[in-house]
Amino acid sequence: MGPIFILSVRVLANRRRLLLIVLLAALPIGLAALVSATLSEDKSSNEEFINVLLDGMLIAAIMPIVTMVTGTAAFGNDLEDRTLGYLVLKPISRLRIVLPKLLASVVVAGPLLMASGIIATLLGASSMGAALLVLDGSVQAVVGVGVALFAGVVAYAAIFTWAGLVTTRALAFALIYVFLWEGLISSYLGGVRYLSVRAYSLSILHGMDDRSFGPLDDRVIEFPAAIGGAVAVTVIFFWLTVRRLRRMDVP
Amino acid sequence: MSRAQRSSQTTATEPTIVVQGVSKWFGSVVAVNDISVQVHPGITGLLGPNGAGKTTLLRMIGGLAEPSEGDVSLLGERVRDNPQLYSRVGVMSANETVYEFFTGREFVEFIGRLHQLEPLAPAVDRAIEAVDLTEVQDRPMGTYSRGMRQRMRLAATLVHDPQVLLLDEPLNGTDPRQRIEFQELMRRQADQGRTILISSHILEEVETLADSILLIVSGKLAASGDFRAIRAKLDERPYKVRIVTGDPRSMAAALVKTETVDSISVDSDGALLVLSRNVSALQHSVPRLAKEQGIRLMRVEPMDDSLESVFSYLVEG
Repeated sequence: MGPIFILSVRVLANRRRLLLIVLLAALPIGLAALVSATLSEDKSSNEEFINVLLDGMLIAAIMPIVTMVTGTAAFGNDLEDRTLGYLVLKPISRLRIVLPKLLASVVVAGPLLMASGIIATLLGASSMGAALLVLDGSVQAVVGVGVALFAGVVAYAAIFTWAGLVTTRALAFALIYVFLWEGLISSYLGGVRYLSVRAYSLSILHGMDDRSFGPLDDRVIEFPAAIGGAVAVTVIFFWLTVRRLRRMDVP
Repeated sequence: MSRAQRSSQTTATEPTIVVQGVSKWFGSVVAVNDISVQVHPGITGLLGPNGAGKTTLLRMIGGLAEPSEGDVSLLGERVRDNPQLYSRVGVMSANETVYEFFTGREFVEFIGRLHQLEPLAPAVDRAIEAVDLTEVQDRPMGTYSRGMRQRMRLAATLVHDPQVLLLDEPLNGTDPRQRIEFQELMRRQADQGRTILISSHILEEVETLADSILLIVSGKLAASGDFRAIRAKLDERPYKVRIVTGDPRSMAAALVKTETVDSISVDSDGALLVLSRNVSALQHSVPRLAKEQGIRLMRVEPMDDSLESVFSYLVEG
């Protein structure tokens, strides 16, 4: 698994892609720093911070976009360059090809996103002061942000890695999934949240510190369901990717 | 070992590659149509014009593509969904893309690691030496010429010392000296009992190398077997030559009297279409006769010297 993981990280973390990820990950930090001066120490500021910055910007947009960039390229690059043959024509199981690819896309996207979320949260907490419900600097809230983002990145990476192997229009598929299914449909149909990575992330965040992240009450599902959903999505799409790689004609 | 010795040796052994009733279609396009062949140890050339289905067949034999119909086995085992088989098989696909950021050595090491070779360094040294690229092994592959890249890809294909080699157009981009070295390398591999299947659309490339050939035209197996028998059939083939002169009637009359011409006709532009089994004699006769008869010779051109016409002849013949 080692050589494929190292190769995949090297390919995924090319200068252009890394620059895009860093810029996107820096947005919430920049915004948190920018608005910290204008936020007042009241409950509405707290809600705005959670709704706009953590949910609206980081979890609903930047996390899926960044993971889309790495996940769809995990196999997309090999298909485009026609280098997948170098991997599949070797005495290694398909599972041992897919796993390092998935891990590589998580490793390239995950730490930057988690750092972005944690730093933005800390900035928000310091600017709003200890009077707020949230972001009073508690370890629980910060860990919650990190875990929620990590779970989201892993689940999204599994979906988008599969998409990158199944279709040459993986980016289009990913955009439709994120913005139509998760952004629009799940807003109107509550049940869809059980099939939404965004809802899993928000629910894990809320479940780990419901005192700080109370404003998310209206858009979360049960904490165990969120954990189970994220794990199920990851396992199912990982299995689908292995299955696809075993059956497909490799260009 | 002579070609005849190798040929008799290969037929005495069990087939390494067995293709049974294999077809492959993409939508309504049939790329490979019901091909059954057996390949024995030694060098076998997979010949055919561009688009004949060679690459598709080779991809099915190598396990990269699933046959729409039929079965393929390598070394007595099924190919698809059987990754462990690749510890004994080396495949070099027609696609020439490489990881350009790797140096040549890093690339071969990477492939060696995927094969879990222990110890790795001697195997990598041996493979790179075999393709004579030791001096440039530490240069990024992005800086290699096309021929060097092909040879380093060949080194990566050989690094685990496979029993079976499937090589799709391996000589693309190589110069004449490199071709000779490649042929010597393949010959040494074959003499050690390996099975080598090489595809090419260049007849002469395979002629000097292969013990036997598989000839594919339009997705079908047109001929297979000993190269010399097929070559002899090729030598019997009449060539068509178009001759434009100032006096086609006189030129035709002069040519008919020679031994070099099978038939002559006149096309719509008034040019002579000459069929001949002895082209070199015809080449000498035409200018001599023109000079003797005082006929102005404006153009002499071979009409069907392309590989496609040679293959077509074999199929029709």
